[in-house]
Amino acid sequence: MSDRVDSVQSMPDIRLPAEAKYKNELDALAAHDDKPRPPGWALSPRAVETYILGSPKPVGGVTITPKYVGDRGIVQVCIATLASDRALMLVGEPGTAKSWLSEHLSAAVSGTSGLVVQGTAGTSEDHIKYSWNYALLLAQGPSPEALVPSPILRAMRTGKFARFEEVTRTSPEIQDSLISILSEKQVSVPELGEITSAQRGFNLIATANTRDRGVNEMSAALKRRFNFVTVPVVEDLEQEIQIVTKREAELRTDYQVGVPPPEELSRVLLTLFQELRKGVTKDGKTKVRTPGAVLSTAEAISVLFNSAILAQQFGSGTVTSQELAASLVGAVVKEQEDDVKALREYMETVAKGRPGPWKDLYTASKKLLRG
Amino acid sequence: MDFALLSRVQHFPVRHHSPRTTAVLQRWLERVKPDVVLVEGPCDATGMVDVLCDGQTRPPVAILGYRTDGTPASSLWPFAAYSPEYQALKWARANGARVEFIDIPVGVSLAVDRDAPGLGLEAEAMEGGTPAPDDTVPLTDAFARSQGYRSFEEFWEAAFEAPDWSPEQFRPVLLAWADVINAGPRQGYHRQRDAFMARKVLEVVAGGVAPEKVAVVAGAAHIAAFVANDVEPALEAKLPAGVPCAVTVIPFSFPRLAEQMGYGAGNRAPHFYQKAHDAHCDFRRATLEVLLDFASHLRVRGFSASLSDVLEAYRLAVMLSDLREKSAPGLDELREATVATLCRGDATHVDGFLWKSVIGHQVGQVASRIGQNSLQAEFWREVGERRLPRTDSPETFALRLNNEVEVGSSVFLHRLRVAGIPYATLSGTGTGSRSQATEAGGYAALTRVRESWQAQWTPSTDVALVEKIVLGDSLEGVTTRVLQERLNLAKTTAEAADVLLESVITGCPQTVASALRACDAHAATDADLPSLASAARALSGLMAYGTSRAHSEVGDEAVASLGEKTFGRALLRVREASACDAEAVPRVLEALRTLHEVALSQPRADKAGWYVEARGLMESHAVHPATSGLATGLLYLARELPESDVALEVGRRLSLAVEPADAAAYLEGFLQVNALVLVKSREVVKALDDFLCGVEPERFVQTLPVLRRALGTLGATERRYLMENVMGVRQLKDKGRAVKAVLEQKDKETLKDMSAELGKALDDLDDLL
Repeated sequence: MSDRVDSVQSMPDIRLPAEAKYKNELDALAAHDDKPRPPGWALSPRAVETYILGSPKPVGGVTITPKYVGDRGIVQVCIATLASDRALMLVGEPGTAKSWLSEHLSAAVSGTSGLVVQGTAGTSEDHIKYSWNYALLLAQGPSPEALVPSPILRAMRTGKFARFEEVTRTSPEIQDSLISILSEKQVSVPELGEITSAQRGFNLIATANTRDRGVNEMSAALKRRFNFVTVPVVEDLEQEIQIVTKREAELRTDYQVGVPPPEELSRVLLTLFQELRKGVTKDGKTKVRTPGAVLSTAEAISVLFNSAILAQQFGSGTVTSQELAASLVGAVVKEQEDDVKALREYMETVAKGRPGPWKDLYTASKKLLRG
Repeated sequence: MDFALLSRVQHFPVRHHSPRTTAVLQRWLERVKPDVVLVEGPCDATGMVDVLCDGQTRPPVAILGYRTDGTPASSLWPFAAYSPEYQALKWARANGARVEFIDIPVGVSLAVDRDAPGLGLEAEAMEGGTPAPDDTVPLTDAFARSQGYRSFEEFWEAAFEAPDWSPEQFRPVLLAWADVINAGPRQGYHRQRDAFMARKVLEVVAGGVAPEKVAVVAGAAHIAAFVANDVEPALEAKLPAGVPCAVTVIPFSFPRLAEQMGYGAGNRAPHFYQKAHDAHCDFRRATLEVLLDFASHLRVRGFSASLSDVLEAYRLAVMLSDLREKSAPGLDELREATVATLCRGDATHVDGFLWKSVIGHQVGQVASRIGQNSLQAEFWREVGERRLPRTDSPETFALRLNNEVEVGSSVFLHRLRVAGIPYATLSGTGTGSRSQATEAGGYAALTRVRESWQAQWTPSTDVALVEKIVLGDSLEGVTTRVLQERLNLAKTTAEAADVLLESVITGCPQTVASALRACDAHAATDADLPSLASAARALSGLMAYGTSRAHSEVGDEAVASLGEKTFGRALLRVREASACDAEAVPRVLEALRTLHEVALSQPRADKAGWYVEARGLMESHAVHPATSGLATGLLYLARELPESDVALEVGRRLSLAVEPADAAAYLEGFLQVNALVLVKSREVVKALDDFLCGVEPERFVQTLPVLRRALGTLGATERRYLMENVMGVRQLKDKGRAVKAVLEQKDKETLKDMSAELGKALDDLDDLL
C-alpha cells in the first residue's frame, strides 16, 4: 500500500485530505514544537491543540488557521483522551463537525487521516480486521501477502490513528469486534498463526450520530472502551456565521466555482437556521415551528455554497435573496410536507415583518413555497 | 497615632474561604508565633470567638448580627472549616495568643446603606471597586479571560489554590493580585473600613505589644492598603453611627456558602474544597474522592460506573490539567472528565444530581454553650423530637392527622408558616395526583386528614428565629402576636374568620377567643355578602371539624351560635347583593354557592330560610339573571324543584321575549351548578336549542362571549350527553353516524384513562393495606 499523501500530490483531487491541505501548518508546528510528544505522536498535545483551534500568533512564519471554532475545553478533552489508552467517541447531532474534528485530529497526531472505516449496515468483521486476496489465497494458501489488512489493522501496525465513522450504523455484533482490538490492542490471525500487536501511537476515533433513527445502540462493554465527547450545536450567532463563511469560502476555492455571498445574507441565513432550530425568535417573542429536517451548521454551509453557484451560473453574478431562497427551500424541505408548512409559517410570521434582505427573502420564497 | 507603625506589624493577606490560603496561613503562623492575632470580622463579635472555637462547634457556621430596634435587618459572616479567618482563630486559641476581630461593628455595617443588606460578605464581591453594571464583565472575570481561563473561579483555582505555595512566595503573590484588584477606584466604604481597622491595629500596638508580635489576618485588598500605607485616618469619621444590634452564632450550610459568589465570597463547590482542605490541599486526592463519590451516586441510581471508569476519569482530569499547565485538576477538569467517562458524553446526570454532591448539603453545628434564644431552642427541640428534616436539602414527608403526635407536628409547622419562619411548605394533601395546589391554611386545612410537607433547613430559618424573638419568646407567643396584628387590621368578617381558622390550626387559644369576638362585631355591620358567606363557611367548618384540633376554652357552643347568627345575617343580604352589576357577579355567585353548601352540610344552619331566599332569586327579575340561573340550578340540585318545573323555568328565561344577553347570563349561572342534569333533560335541551336558533344574528354575536363562557364549563361527558340530546331533539338518529363515531372513540379513550386511574387507585389501596 503506497503512502496516500504522495498519491494525492501527484493528482489534483477535488478535496485534499487535511494533512495535505494544511501540510505547511503541520510542518511549521512540528518544527517549533518543544514540548514532549507522547510515543508515536507527530506533535505534542499542546501543538495539536494549536493546530485545531488556530493561533493568533504565526508559528515559524506560518499562520495557523482555526479548524474548529468552539469550546477549547472540548478539544482538550479529545486530545487528552487520545493520549490515554481509551479511544475517543465523538457524538452529536448531524452536521456538527464530528468527522471534521476527527479528520483533523488524526492528521495532526498521526500525519494521516486516511485510515477510515465507514460504518454502514453492510460493514462486516472483514472491514474491521482483515480479509483475503482470494486469488492469492487459492494459489498459495494463507500467506502474509494474501492478507488484506483493514484500515484499523494498518493503523495498528504503523502506530497511527484509525477512524471509524458512524459506528452506530453497524450492527452490534460487528461493533463488538472492536472490543478486543481496543482492550488488548491486538488482532490475531489464526490462519497464519500470528498475532498483530498495535504499535505505540495507535488509537481510534469513532463518531456516532444522536439524531439518526434506527441506530444500533452500542453495548455497555464497548462503551467502556471509549471516552465520550459531545460536539455541541453552535448556539452563538457570530460564531456560526464565522464558521459558515470560512468553510463556504474554502469550498469555493476547492471547487473553483461560485461567487462570494454578501455578509448580510449569511447573517439572515444563520439567524433563520438558529431560530428554526430553537423554535423561537432571537428576541424570544415569537414561537416558530421546528421542521423535522436537520438544520446543522454543515447544512447552512451547503445552502450558502449552493446559492453562490446558482448566482454565478444562472443568476446575475451576485448572490441575492432569490438564490438563497431557492437553496434554502431545497435544504429545509427534504421529504416531509410539514416542513414546507413550517418554513412558510416562519416566512409569514417572522421574515415578513423584518427589514432589508428579509423582505426580499420573503418575497422570493413566497413563490417557491406555494403549493 | 503613628501610622508608620502599621507596616511593621505582621500582615497576612487572605481570600475568604480558600483552602490554600488556610494551609499557608497555618504554616506562617507557626513561624511568626504572634502574641496577638487580629482577624477581619465585626469587632463586637470578639466575644463569639469562644463559641466559634468550641470543640462542639462544627463549621460551616456564621456570625449573625441583627438589629434589635424592631427594624428587620441582619447580616451574616460565614465561616467554613477551610476559611483562613476561622483557622486563624483556632490557631490563636490553641497557642494561647490573644485574638480579636477588628472590622467595623455590626451596628455600623447594618447602618451602611447597601443594596443587599442581608449579606455581609457579598459586599466583598465589590472589593476593589469593580461595581459591575449588569452587562459589563467584572474586572476579575475580564482578567481571567485575558489569561485564557473561562472564569475567574477557574483562574483562581489554577493560579492560587492548586500550586503548593510557601508563605514567602504566597504573600507577595496575593498582594500583587490585590494590587491588580485595587487598580480601580476603591469604594469609599472600603477605605473607611481600612481606616477603622488600621486604628484598631494601632491601638493594640499602643497597648504595649511589639508590632512584630501582632499578626493581622484580613482580606488581601485591605492588607495591600496597609502595606502600602494607603490609609486615610480621617475617613473613619464618615462611617455612619451604629444602630442597636446584637450578635450571635448560628449554623450555616454548604449550599448557602456556594450561593455567595464573587471575589472573596463563597465558593462554587464547598464540599470539594472541604475535601481538599482535609487532604492538606492535595487537589488530586480531592478529585479522586469526588469521582468515587460520583460513581457510587451513579450506581445507586442504577447506572453502570466501574472502578476502571473512575480511574480513567481521574487520569483524564490529571491529563487535562497538565495540558492546561495547571498543577492539579480543579472543578472544570473534574466536570469534563466526569462527563466524558462516567456519563458517556451526556451532561444531564452531572447537572441533574452529581454536581450537588460537590456542593454538599452539610449543616454546621454550634456549641450548646452559646445562648440559643428560646425560639431557636424550641425549634431545634421540636425538630429533634418530631424527627423532622434538619439538612439543607429539600425533603418531603407526610403527616396523618389521626393521632396527637402528628397533629402536634402539623400545629408546629403551621405556626412556623404563620410566623413567617422559612422552613416547611405544604406541598399537598397527599391524596394522589388529583389534589391541586391548595391553600396552606384556612378552611382547607381544617378538612384535611393528611398533609404532605416539604421541609428544608436553611440559615435563614435560624436568622428568622433570632429576629422574631422581639415578637414573643415561644413559637406560640410569636404566632399569637402575628395573628393578633392581622386581626387588628381585619376590616371584614371574612378576614376575621380567616384569623379564627388560622388560630385554630396553629393552636393559639388566645386569638381564637378574640377572633370570635371580632367576627361577631364585624358581622353585625358587614354588608358584604361574599365576606359573610365565607365567614359562615369558616364557622360551619369549625363546628364540623373543629373538635379534632386543639380548641379554646371558649367552647364549641360559642362557635356554633356565632355560626348560626352569621348565616342568618348573610341570608338577609342575599337579595340586595344579587341585584348587582356584571362585574360583581362572580363573587356573588361564589357566595351563593358557599351559602348553599353550608345550608346543606351544617344542621344548625337555617336551611329553610335559604330555600326561601333561593326561590325568591329564581323568581325575581330584579336581580342579576346569573344569580337567578344559579338559584334555579341549586334548588334543582337539592331536589327542591321537580324536573318539569325546571324545564318550564328555563324555557321561560330563554324565551324570545327576554333580552338575549340576560338569557345567556341566566344560562351561565345555571350551567355553573349542574350541567349534567341540564343536558340530560331533553326538554331543557329543546328550550336551549330553540333559544339559540331564535336569536337574531347581530344579537347572537353580542351574546357569544357569555354563551361561550357558559358552555365552556361543560366537561367531556356533559358534552357527549348534550350532543346525544341535540341529535334526539332534531331527529338526526341516522344522519348522525359521524357524530356517533366520534362519541364512541371518545368513550374508548375515557375508558382507557379510567382503567389506568383505577389501576393506580388499586395500587394505592394495596400500599395502604
